[in-house]
Amino acid sequence: MDPIREHIDVETRRHFFGRAGVLGLGGLALTDLLSRTARAAEPAPRPDWPAGIGGLPGLPHFAPTARRAIYLHMNGGPSQHDLLDYKPKMDALFDKDLPESIRQGQRLTTMTSGQARFPIAPTRYKFKQHGQSGMWFSELLPNMAKLADDIALIKTTWTEAINHDPAVTYICTGNQLPGRPSLGAWLSYGLGAMNENLPAFVVMTPKFSTKASPQALYNRLWGAGFLPSKYQGVALRSQGDPVLFLSNPQGVDKAVRRRSLDAINRLNAKQFDSFADPETQARIAQYEMAFRMQMSVPELADISNEPKHVLDLYGPEVHTPGSFARCALLARRLAERDVRFVQLFHRGWDQHGNVAGDLPGQCNDVDRASYALVTDLKQRGMLDDTLVIWGGEFGRTIYCQGALSRENYGRDHHPKCFPVWLAGGGIKAGITYGETDEFGYNVVENPVHIHDVNATILHCMGIDHYRLTYKFQGLDVRLTGVLDQAPVKGILA
Amino acid sequence: MALGLRLSALACAGLMAAAAGLGAARADEERGDGEKAKPAAKLPPVSFAHEVRPILSENCFACHGFDAEQRKGGLRLDTREGAFETLKSGETAVVPGDLDESALIFRIELDDDPEMMMPPKESGKSLTPAEIDLLKRWVAEGAHWGDHWSFEPPVKVDPPEIKDPERALNPIDSFILARLDAEGLEPAERAKPARLLRRVYLDLIGLPPTPADVDAFLASVEAGGYDAAYEKTVDRLLASPRYGEHMARFWLDAARYGDTHGLHLDNFREMWAYRDWVVRAFNANKPFDQFIIEQLAGDLLPNPTLDQLIATGFNRCHVSTSEGGSIEEEVYVRNVVDQVDTNGTVFLGLTIACSRCHDHKFDPITQKEYYQLFAFFNNIDGPALDGNASRWAPFIQTPTDEQKAALEASDKQLAELRARLADETAKLAASYDPKLDENQSEEPQRGDFVWIDDAFPEGAAVQGDGAFVAGPDHPVQSGGVALRIEAAGLKQKVIENPAAKLKIGADDVLFAHVYLDPANPPKEIMLQWRVGGQWSHRAFWGENLIDWGKDGTHERTRFGDQPARGEWVRLEIPAKAVGLEPGTEIDGWAFTQFDGVAYWDKAGLLTQTPQRGQTYDGLSAWVRAKLADDGAGLAEPIKAILKKPQAERSDDDRKALLEAFLPDWTEGRKALEPIRAELAKAEAERKTLDGSISTTLIFRERKGDPKPAYVLNRGEYDQRGDEVGRALPAFLPPPTDDAPLDRLAFARWLIAPEQPLTARVAVNRFWQQVFGIGLVKTSEDFGAQGEPPSHPELLDWLAVQFQEDGWDVKRFMKRLVMSSTYRQSSKIDPASLAKDPENRLLARGPRFRLDAETLRDQAFYVGGMLVEEVGGPSVKPPQPAGLWEAVAYTDSNTAKFTADTGVDKVHRRSLYTFWKRTSPPPQMTTLDAPSRESCQVRRERTNTPLQALLLLNEPQYIEASRDLAERVFREAGSSPEERLTLMFRLATSRAPDAADLEELRAALRDFTDHYAERPDAARELINIGEVKPDPKLDPSELAAWTMIGNVILNLDEVLTKG
Repeated sequence: MDPIREHIDVETRRHFFGRAGVLGLGGLALTDLLSRTARAAEPAPRPDWPAGIGGLPGLPHFAPTARRAIYLHMNGGPSQHDLLDYKPKMDALFDKDLPESIRQGQRLTTMTSGQARFPIAPTRYKFKQHGQSGMWFSELLPNMAKLADDIALIKTTWTEAINHDPAVTYICTGNQLPGRPSLGAWLSYGLGAMNENLPAFVVMTPKFSTKASPQALYNRLWGAGFLPSKYQGVALRSQGDPVLFLSNPQGVDKAVRRRSLDAINRLNAKQFDSFADPETQARIAQYEMAFRMQMSVPELADISNEPKHVLDLYGPEVHTPGSFARCALLARRLAERDVRFVQLFHRGWDQHGNVAGDLPGQCNDVDRASYALVTDLKQRGMLDDTLVIWGGEFGRTIYCQGALSRENYGRDHHPKCFPVWLAGGGIKAGITYGETDEFGYNVVENPVHIHDVNATILHCMGIDHYRLTYKFQGLDVRLTGVLDQAPVKGILA
Repeated sequence: MALGLRLSALACAGLMAAAAGLGAARADEERGDGEKAKPAAKLPPVSFAHEVRPILSENCFACHGFDAEQRKGGLRLDTREGAFETLKSGETAVVPGDLDESALIFRIELDDDPEMMMPPKESGKSLTPAEIDLLKRWVAEGAHWGDHWSFEPPVKVDPPEIKDPERALNPIDSFILARLDAEGLEPAERAKPARLLRRVYLDLIGLPPTPADVDAFLASVEAGGYDAAYEKTVDRLLASPRYGEHMARFWLDAARYGDTHGLHLDNFREMWAYRDWVVRAFNANKPFDQFIIEQLAGDLLPNPTLDQLIATGFNRCHVSTSEGGSIEEEVYVRNVVDQVDTNGTVFLGLTIACSRCHDHKFDPITQKEYYQLFAFFNNIDGPALDGNASRWAPFIQTPTDEQKAALEASDKQLAELRARLADETAKLAASYDPKLDENQSEEPQRGDFVWIDDAFPEGAAVQGDGAFVAGPDHPVQSGGVALRIEAAGLKQKVIENPAAKLKIGADDVLFAHVYLDPANPPKEIMLQWRVGGQWSHRAFWGENLIDWGKDGTHERTRFGDQPARGEWVRLEIPAKAVGLEPGTEIDGWAFTQFDGVAYWDKAGLLTQTPQRGQTYDGLSAWVRAKLADDGAGLAEPIKAILKKPQAERSDDDRKALLEAFLPDWTEGRKALEPIRAELAKAEAERKTLDGSISTTLIFRERKGDPKPAYVLNRGEYDQRGDEVGRALPAFLPPPTDDAPLDRLAFARWLIAPEQPLTARVAVNRFWQQVFGIGLVKTSEDFGAQGEPPSHPELLDWLAVQFQEDGWDVKRFMKRLVMSSTYRQSSKIDPASLAKDPENRLLARGPRFRLDAETLRDQAFYVGGMLVEEVGGPSVKPPQPAGLWEAVAYTDSNTAKFTADTGVDKVHRRSLYTFWKRTSPPPQMTTLDAPSRESCQVRRERTNTPLQALLLLNEPQYIEASRDLAERVFREAGSSPEERLTLMFRLATSRAPDAADLEELRAALRDFTDHYAERPDAARELINIGEVKPDPKLDPSELAAWTMIGNVILNLDEVLTKG
């Protein structure tokens, strides 16, 4: 038998807990301390839900409809005209100029503001209605179309930003300038964690198909901004350690690590005896949690026990580490383990040109897996208390950027309307919300600002967005800004 | 301070209280309740500035404050007049001394009438009973009114009387102790010398003392007393170059310094000269007022030095972009806004940013004043978009001494060559025979400009088939050779990217000579021309077999049947006929054929347009050519002379014309060519030299009138309101001189003696650096919404003293660390923890986790592997693969991370680590370092499992553990005790006690047994890192000791400054 293992078996109990006087608290209190990150838990909002650990007192503000959320972010600005916002009248207007009455002098990016004309580029893809709801989907999303009766599709989300960096920073952190906490950071700050062995907010950046240079991401999109950094998203990586520095160094096995932690913790306990600094106790607890994460994270990332029918549901790409399908499956596994918020950032949706060459591959990356994720959650009964969000940072123009033909065209950024869909806990299933004009250019009914989308997400999680604030630079800063914003009542179940 | 920390402190306090049998009393009772319990008679008068105004600000100002647009019911509570006046409704908010008549009191106690109660429920605010009680007492005491505390000039009051004057070592202590006396708290005992030594080392130089330092200190304490020994040490530390490196770190967070642009592409930005300037400034103890002036307005000082210009980089550190599609003005406004907001936070401690969109709700800054401040920064001499270039104007070179010498040599060489060129030109001018031009017309005439004959144009890339062949075996039309192409199917010779393009003029005609082999003629011949990289102009003869381009357009035009065989035929193609408009420049030419054999020769352009590289036999020929092209490329005065009729030109005109012509004179070209070639070479070398010299971004004013600034409605760049000039906020003292209002005046205004904020804000940050929390906890906000100071008189005393000392930073730091307050033990006593969990009252010494940089530097230093070299380009120590790639724009020049190698790069202090702002080094951010995307003057301090994983497993920390092990093998005796003792001392600055040793010895035994059986694992472990282990050491033994190093470097005592 390994001498260290033997040692641990005896020593852990005898020394670590039994060494009388450690912290002067006795074994029970210390066990309790080690199992908690910060403070006593808030009572769970529903008896069958785990309690939040380390959230704010008084939260949730009201009974949540979802206790966790998975956000599938399509970075770059997916083209609503070719995917989810069907405009049949455009076909007859091929290469006709977009009427000035529609554009209304709206500001354009400098990529197309110099164009002599703004010719309409009708989609080359066929649209069909699906499900009982009759929701429209393009042929590029054959699997997602099967969710027609599961999701609420908002066609009228809008934003002010027209370039990627500010727009994606805006939708993810509520502000176009860097420095603010991200949605997930707010959620973990407010609600705390539900699993002691995993971070409350996990981020993945799956692979993508486009061969064109995709837009960048920024750590700030899942950062903590001015909130303490422990609330920032933890990247679950497909390369190297799934969580940074998770693995023991080469040549250090679990037994050695356990033995070294025992020494560290005991010496730290002695340090606490001398200085009585509560932070020392917290450190002991964090080192123990790190050790537990060393087991729980690899277990999480290992999909070998997933049954074949589940793997088949996500499609063959699920076998490729780092694929969107694999990440979607991992998102479900994280949700299953009560990780509060999981966010996937899928890049490459910025089709300024070559929609025909580029968009199908992007759709292929996510179509089946997005469907599979919702279906998988549903089959497990988890869709009732899990919120799923799908969308980008803005939409694309109906008019063409660059060369236009029936077969191929490009589209510039369009902030005035774009689709976002939500599904799961607290969301009405099978509805299309909001209407755009026949050019898919302006909102004619039920505009939804990106702050409203974030307010809706918070609402489902039991948070009054107006009351989730943090004092920064003298202000009660909130995710949803200073103007009047509200959850989208029309899509709430 | 981290919420987590405070809460965990409470949880623990609660646990301890429970364990001690004190029942369920929680430690987080509000102080107000405690005060309430005291007999009323003993209460000191309520302080408006420190107690009342914060309550009003937090709960009332949003609707009854400075912002007129939001004001409800006509009531204004941020001014005395507003609060005391009788409103239209007949109510008066505050009637001094009269609780019943004061509507303010009435409204806050109306808890049975939610409609009327203030603050309204929907505001989410509510008053605690203690706050209500305080407001009532304030009214009852006569409602004393004052300005917000931080807008009043600081007053240096005498340090208060204290119970035990012996305890105060300097005035700081009197203020702290007086408060402790009042709160009934006892200060802690003095820290033990070794602990204090470690603390002060970490606070002043960011590295711990070595055991030798400790021994020397203890000896000197023994010899000359604790105080004298300590003071000597402090002086020595302040003189160390490590001091500047440590101090700079905090400033660089505030300045948002980074090594990339921070937005979108997030390309490399070379800016480290500014970072090094900050280090130098602290080391040289540059007075803080001067430090401010140079960073804000170094460029406006008379004859600014290079260093003063580098300092202005402070206002260029903000993030920037060149994202495609960006609107220049929008980005421009964002840049300036960042400058204004950062200056507001760093120097004034004000949240000026709020008034970008509307009048500030809490502080008296109007939106107009915001844009008046904006106007100070609104005139930079450079573009808004960074062009994704490191050298984003304005920037400046920062040459090394060697490079300075090279620059001087290059200047000299260039001057000499230019002089020689001028000499030669003058000689040529004298030698030119004017008779050549007699009777020569200056009317433009068309002529053949031969582009291809016996050779391809200079610099062109040539590919494809065919070769030059010579007579007499082959037909040759001109010169010595012709180009022969033999084809079966499609063959061609393609000539691209020549140094000089062929410029098309109006009605020009392209020509080429062709000879078709009579025995084996091609079925089709084609000429193609490339413009702007595109081949889309083609002419062909014969069959239509080559199907490039759209038939019948200039992409493929037929010019007739095959020319006659067996003879030279000149093909002529009007440029217009193949879609080549005047002004077009051809950058490629192709001879193409289908089947057969053809010879091609002498090709070019029948033109009157001067072509690049063309020479002329005489002045008249030159004038003809230049006139045909309207003098393109010539200086304006020469153009004017050119256009005068020949007879009207003066002698000077003729002379000027001749000089302009000489370089194009066939004879002149020959004579000048060698000098020109030398000059070109020297210029190219200079360009390379310039490119190799580091640069840094600076601030420089545009010439001419300042750019106008406008109030921007809701802060939107495209919604301009009234134009505004430069002015300083009215609620602060005006500038005292009448110097022109520019950035220099702004900087001088900041450091003026009347200015109440700058010194307070600065000393508070230094305090925060050492004590963990500032006297004003919200070090970024001294406004109404900020937290009032814990020790207002002390803050003022420090601020005034700092100015009286000439803004002497070292002296200030010394004063902090010389105080008995600083020198207390950081041992926590349960009573003071319960009463003061955050240690705001300082009944004990500061104790908190070290910052990311200090932790890493300490580990390197303790392991003896820290490479200490001050300054230079940023370095890239290893980090896990794929972090940059996961987020980066593919085309970014920081898309892929490649670690540096060599200890002189990867073992440097963390200050020098390359900071990519969209993906900062995880070794830093995991431990709460900011991303440097925006100004940050206060770091959170958290305690997370991810930090534990980093400190336990990150390869550089493992390498430090192994180096620590190797070090004790070298430096300690051979017994485990000696080695363990030295290791422990290196990391903690104290000798281990018996229990420490026993714990480590037990672990060492287990590790030793473990690795003795696993030599392969041992080798794996000790081979981690840049430097390989000492081969003389036994791998298993070294591995076991490496794990001991890992244990020691992870001890709370090592991670904490205590």
